[in-house]
Amino acid sequence: MSSLGSRLYAWLDRRLKLKRLQRTLLDEPIPGGASWIYVFGSATLFLFLLQGITGMFLAVYYAPTPDHAYDSIQFIENQVTFGAFVRGLHHWGASAMVVAIGLHMLQAFLYGAYKPPRELMWMVGVLLFLLTLTFAFTGYLLPWDQNAYWATQIGINMVGTIPIVGDFMVRVLRGGETLGALTISRFFAVHVLFLPALIVGGILLHLFILRRVGPAGPWSEQRAVQGSETFWPRQVYMDAVVMLAIFAVVATLAITVPFPLADKANPSDTTFVPVPEWYFLFYYQLLKYVHGPLAPLATWVLPAIVFLVLLLWPFLDRNPARHPAARPAALAAGAGFLAVVLILLGISLRDLYAVPRVDPAVAYGKAMYARLGCAGCHRIHGEGGAVCPDLSYVGDTRPDRTWHLQHFRDPQSVSPGSIMPKFPLNEQELNHLASYVLSLKRPT
Amino acid sequence: MNPPEEDKPPLAAGVYTPIGPRRRFFQWVTGAIFGVIGLGLAIPLTGYIISPALKRRSKPWVDVGSVDELVPGEPKQLAHVLPIQDGYIELRAVKSVWAVRQSKDEITVFSPICPHLGCGFRWDDGERKFKCPCHGSDYSVTGQVLAGPAPRPLDVLPNKVEHRRLFVMYKEFKAGLPKQVEL
Repeated sequence: MSSLGSRLYAWLDRRLKLKRLQRTLLDEPIPGGASWIYVFGSATLFLFLLQGITGMFLAVYYAPTPDHAYDSIQFIENQVTFGAFVRGLHHWGASAMVVAIGLHMLQAFLYGAYKPPRELMWMVGVLLFLLTLTFAFTGYLLPWDQNAYWATQIGINMVGTIPIVGDFMVRVLRGGETLGALTISRFFAVHVLFLPALIVGGILLHLFILRRVGPAGPWSEQRAVQGSETFWPRQVYMDAVVMLAIFAVVATLAITVPFPLADKANPSDTTFVPVPEWYFLFYYQLLKYVHGPLAPLATWVLPAIVFLVLLLWPFLDRNPARHPAARPAALAAGAGFLAVVLILLGISLRDLYAVPRVDPAVAYGKAMYARLGCAGCHRIHGEGGAVCPDLSYVGDTRPDRTWHLQHFRDPQSVSPGSIMPKFPLNEQELNHLASYVLSLKRPT
Repeated sequence: MNPPEEDKPPLAAGVYTPIGPRRRFFQWVTGAIFGVIGLGLAIPLTGYIISPALKRRSKPWVDVGSVDELVPGEPKQLAHVLPIQDGYIELRAVKSVWAVRQSKDEITVFSPICPHLGCGFRWDDGERKFKCPCHGSDYSVTGQVLAGPAPRPLDVLPNKVEHRRLFVMYKEFKAGLPKQVEL
């Protein structure tokens, strides 16, 4: 620290008593010493801040109306410098935040950190988790592509299965009869104004309780009585190392894994099958097993019970012991719940990714499509020129392979008056290109 | 020399903290990490926020009509639809320009805005002058100032002829200056 910096600090300290505040904030004793197992709370907070910052920047270009939402996201993706990167950070940051909260809750559960006197900290934490899932649900609609539209439609319909108040709640969520302009603006307002205010309040309360009751520390009394270590600098150092690792992973995903939009939302296209975000997949899978009169059980009874059990868990588990070996029932319950969630997630992922295997010819054909500049005239899912036929679903509208082969050899022979030029292609190239255009189908 | 005060805070009994080089290592690494993350965000986010200011839209060539309609020495007002890209919204504006065939191969296209204070001028067939109704500036068929307060000749727009069609690149200029400055 330069002498100018320390003089400025001393000047401020004389007025604002900063040193005392700094002691309170940084010298918080951690029973049993700093540990890598305590990093998940800070990791979650870091990801929340990352979501807040990237979200503010996305809002600079985003327009929350059905007319412009999709185009404004396309604009961010394709026209704005670093736009795809910022959107990628926000997208992958959301997934990372769900993972971080999951690990944080798992650690608190395993260490019995919810036991007296920390019941309130756990309960506020469960509410923060619920708020995070609400963030995910409201944010998912905003790009206004087919996936967003139809996944939100399903989510809202599930609320409709609640007896008596369901229909009314659906109308409140949609802001009217249909999913449209009023829905997107209220989801936007909730996502960027209401929820941030609530979650910041919740985080402050969570931290306030932490500072009043102190961290739980290790489950073994012997280690805890060996003494406490100050939060600064070693725990902060561990937290920072983990934050850097998370930032590196999220930034790498944002750069290397593109997160393309589906087609613009089309309320009349009822053939579209949306896929929810991975952290809702286990639940999506569960809904497949429950039909008919039992459906409400899965759509709202079970989620409500799970939420209440989580929230009231500190009062349900009356065993005062914190050591895992002394809590077989609680650990079995936790492991059982986790196993069900992970198995459902696994089955769902297997079903989703097992079926479509990409034919290498399709990839070669796609590369040729790019190389030959076909997008100068043709359009696929909103990308490319609008001069010639849109090829988004040409595999459905024209499934005949021989027609395509003949068309590539001599466009005018099968499509009189076509302005498409003849491209000098060999047999293999013709086949690759045909495989590619035939692969352009509606998702099944 | 005494170590800085914050190097070893006074602590309650049973509370310990790293001291000396170990403490400085943790402090240094923590600071460096926050610096790296901060820069990793600040650089892309700055580019993200300033990017529209750095991009100058390339102006499109717009087909304004057939060159066969132009009679030598007779100015003709040609209206056309100009596509304007406003971020993610595409707007269309109707603009009109004055085109004059000066000789067999030479066509001049004037901006329809008077360089004096930005009114729209018209062609007076009787006096064979461009006349601005606002402040009385007169211009010849080649755009030279004949009378009035105009500080410079009429603004000429880039044009080209392809397949006997006249294409114009529509631009606007600051009014009231002796020099032509594009907006």
